[in-house]
Amino acid sequence: MSAPHTESAPRQGDQVLGPRAGRWATPALAVGVLGLAAALGLGWQRGDGFSRLQHSWLVACAFFLTLSLGGLFFVIIQHLTRAGWSVVVRRVAELVAANTAVVALLFAPLVLGVLLSNDGLYPWADAERVHGNPLLSAKAAFLDPRFFAARCIVYFAVWWLLGRWLLARSTEQDRVSGPEPTLALERRSAPAMAAFALSLNFAGFDLIMSVNPTWYSTIFGVYIFGGSVMSFFAAAVLALRFLQSRGFLTREVSVEHYHDLGKFLFAFVFFWGYIAFSQFMLIWYADLPEETFWFKTRMEGPWAAVSWVLLFGHFVLPFLGLLSRHAKRRLALLTLWAVWLLAMHAVDLFWLVMPSAETSGVLVSPMDLASFAAVGGFWIFSLLRLARGRSLLPVGDPRLPQSLAFENF
Amino acid sequence: MAERATNTGAGELHALLAEFDDVDAVSGAARALRDAGYRRFEVYSPFPIHGIERSMGLSPTRLPWIALGAGLTGTSLALFFQWWTNAVDYPFKISGKPLFGIPANIPVTFEFTVLLASFGAFFGMLILNRLPEHHRPVFENPRFRRATDDGFFLAVEVDDPRFDPRATRALLEQHTRRPLEECRDSGQTRELPGSVRAALVSVAALGLLPLAGVVWARSQDSSRPPIHVVNDMDSQPRYRAQAANPVFSDGRAMRSDALGTQAFGELPRPGTITTGKQGDAWTESFPVPVTPAFLARGRERFAIYCTPCHGQSGYGDGLVALRAAELQEQNWVQPSSLHDPLVRARPVGQLFDTVVNGVRTMPAYGRQIPREDAWAVVAYVRALQRSQNAAQADVPPTERAKLGAQ
Ligand code: HEC
Repeated sequence: MSAPHTESAPRQGDQVLGPRAGRWATPALAVGVLGLAAALGLGWQRGDGFSRLQHSWLVACAFFLTLSLGGLFFVIIQHLTRAGWSVVVRRVAELVAANTAVVALLFAPLVLGVLLSNDGLYPWADAERVHGNPLLSAKAAFLDPRFFAARCIVYFAVWWLLGRWLLARSTEQDRVSGPEPTLALERRSAPAMAAFALSLNFAGFDLIMSVNPTWYSTIFGVYIFGGSVMSFFAAAVLALRFLQSRGFLTREVSVEHYHDLGKFLFAFVFFWGYIAFSQFMLIWYADLPEETFWFKTRMEGPWAAVSWVLLFGHFVLPFLGLLSRHAKRRLALLTLWAVWLLAMHAVDLFWLVMPSAETSGVLVSPMDLASFAAVGGFWIFSLLRLARGRSLLPVGDPRLPQSLAFENF
Repeated sequence: MAERATNTGAGELHALLAEFDDVDAVSGAARALRDAGYRRFEVYSPFPIHGIERSMGLSPTRLPWIALGAGLTGTSLALFFQWWTNAVDYPFKISGKPLFGIPANIPVTFEFTVLLASFGAFFGMLILNRLPEHHRPVFENPRFRRATDDGFFLAVEVDDPRFDPRATRALLEQHTRRPLEECRDSGQTRELPGSVRAALVSVAALGLLPLAGVVWARSQDSSRPPIHVVNDMDSQPRYRAQAANPVFSDGRAMRSDALGTQAFGELPRPGTITTGKQGDAWTESFPVPVTPAFLARGRERFAIYCTPCHGQSGYGDGLVALRAAELQEQNWVQPSSLHDPLVRARPVGQLFDTVVNGVRTMPAYGRQIPREDAWAVVAYVRALQRSQNAAQADVPPTERAKLGAQ
C-alpha cells in the first residue's frame, strides 16, 4: 500500500455535493413525513395519551442527537490536539456535528408535554405524583417543568452554536489563505470542550435518566457519552464509504484514515463497555434497593434477553472482532461492524428508555420504527441541506497535506 | 575533497557500513539486498521510514500474538486465582455475595489482563529485537554518529550467509557514491562492562534481602505482637470496657438501652422468663426446664460471653481481668468471683437480671444474649458454683471409686 500522493492539490469544486444533495434529500424528507404520519397514527390508535409514542420518539431523537454530539466531540478534540491525520474526514464530522437544530425542533413537543404536565414520558412532570412521593419531592427543585425546559434550551443552544461555529470557521478556512480561522478554532476548543462535557452530561441526566426519576447513577452522563462517540465513529465510517462509492473523497480518504477511525471505534466500544460495567458493578455490589431496581427490571422477563444482546453485541463480539489491525483495514469488514454497532447503539438507547413503557411480550412496536424513520428522515434531510454548498474536504486547512500523506506504522 | 573511509578497529570484520544521501537511496539499497537474498542487515536513520520493513523484506511482526497470548494468560490466571482463593481455599461470604461472583472479579481480571498484555508487548519487543544490546562495532565508526542527526546508513553483517567481501561491496557501491566503511571488532566486547555487571548483581542480591527476611520470620516463633505496618484495626477510636466518658451525665462510656426502648426482634413478654421476678421478688426456681442439653448450651454461651472477665471456672480471673491487672488499669473493678458466698446466695432470678441488665460496672448482655440463653447461662453458673463447693457426697459413686483409687 503506498501513501496517497499529493502532487496536485485537491480543488474545491470536485468535493461539493451540489445538486446531488437535493436529489438525495427529497426521499429523506418523504421518509420523514411518512414516518411522522405513521408514528402519530399508531400513537393515537394506542389510546394511552401518546405515552408509548413519547418513549419511541425519545429513543429516536436520542439516537440521532448522540450521533451529532459524538461528531461534536470528535471535531473539538481534533482542534484541541491539533490533529493532522483527521483533516480529510473532519468536514463530514463537522456537518454531522452542526446538524442539531433539527433534533431540537423534533424534541420540542416532548418538552411542551412536560410544560403541560403530561407525565406520559417523564413521571415527574405531574405535580400531584411528585407531591405524594418523598423521593420525587426531594428532587422537585431540579426536576421542575419550567427549569427543565430552560435547561433543554440551554443544551440545544450550546450544541447548535458550537456546531455551527466550528463549521463556519472551518469553511472560512477553505477560502482564506492565512491560518487565522484554524488558529481561532484551536484557541477556543478548550472552553468548547468544557461546554460540551457539561452540557452532554447534564442532558444525559435530564433527557434519559429522568425517565426513571427515582433512580440515579452519577456515571450516567459518561455512559451516554461513550455510546455517542462510538456511534459517531460507526456513522463516520458509513458516511465516508457512501460518499466514496459516489465518487467523493476517493483519493483523499485512504485505508489509513479508515484504520484510525476503526481504532477509535474499537476504543469506544471498549470505553462504553468499561463504563457500562462500572455502573453495573457499583450498583450490584452496594446492593441498595433504590438503585438495583433499575437493573432488576432489565434483568428479568423479556428485557433479560436484551441485556444479553447488549453485553455481547455491544461489547464482547465487536471487541474481539475489531481487535486485530487487519479487521480495521479490511473495509468491508469495518463497514459491517459499523452497521452492527449503529444498530447496537439503537438497542442501547431502547434498553435505557423503554423498560418504563414495556414490561412484557414483544417489546418493539411499529411505532418505534415509524419514529425512527421520521426523525432519521428529517435528520438526513437537514444534513444534506447543510452539506449542499460546502466542500466535503477542508481544502484550505493548513494540515491538509499532512492528512493526505498520513500513514500508520 | 573526496570523502575518505574512517575504518576503525583491527579485529575481525563485523559488518560493511554504507552511508546514503536520502531515504530513497537507502530504501533502494535495502530493496536490492532483499532481492539478492540478504537477511542480516540493518538500516539506521534519524527518523522512522515508512515502508522500510517491506523494503528490507522483514516479515510482519509476531508481537501482536505475543501480546494477545500474554493478555489471555492474564485473564485466565486472574480468574483462576480469584476463584481459588475466594471460593475454594478460603471461602468467605462477604455481604451476601456469591463466593465467586463474576462482577466482583472483573476489575482485577481486567487489570491483570492489561498488565500481562503490556508485559508481553514490552518484553516481547525487547526479545524479538534481541535487546538490550550493549554494543555494536558500527557504533565505533565516527561517521555513524550522524545516524541520529542527518545520516542514512545500512550495515550488512558478515554472518549473513550471502555475505561476500567483494560482491556485497560491489552491490552497495551501486547505490551510494560515498566510501564504504569496514566495521571491525575492536577490543570492546559486546558484553556488559564488569563494573555494570557487578552493580546489577549486587542490586539483585539486595533485592533478595526482604524476601530472605520474610522466609526467616516465617520460620520463627515469637511471643511478641506482630509488627503492624498498616494499623488497620489495631488502634481504633473506641472506648474500652468500663472507660469513663464525660459526654454522658453518668460518666459511663458503655451505654445501656435508652429508657423505654425495645431491642429489635424482642417482644415485651412480661413474666418471670423475661424479668426474673415472681411478683416483686427474684425467683428462686427456673421458669424453663433444665435439661442436659440446656446446660450444655449454657456452658457454651458462658464460655463465649462470660469467661473473658470471669474466667473458665468463674473466679474472676478471665483474660480481660488478667490483662487489666497487668496494665495496672486505674479504674478497673475486678470481676466478682462467682463463688463468693454473696453471689452464691443470690436467687437465680437475680443472676438472670445480672446477665441481662448488668450490675454496677458489669455491662448488660441482654442485647447479645436472648432470654432463653440467659437462663441457660444462669443454670450453668449454678452448676459451676456447685462444682467448686461440693461435698464428697455430691460425687456420684462410680466417680468416687475412681477418686479413691488415685
Ligand atoms: C466485661 C467483663 C465482664 C463480663 C464479660 C461479664 N462480667 Fe460479670 N461482672 C463483671 C464485673 C466487673 C463485676 C463486678 C461488678 C462490680 O462489682 O461493680 C461482675 C459481676 C458479676 C456478678 C456478680 C453480681 C453481684 O450480684 O454482685 C455475676 C453473677 C456476674 N458478673 C455474672 C456474669 C455472667 C453470667 C456473665 C456472662 C453472661 C458475665 N458476668 C460477664 C464483669 C464482667
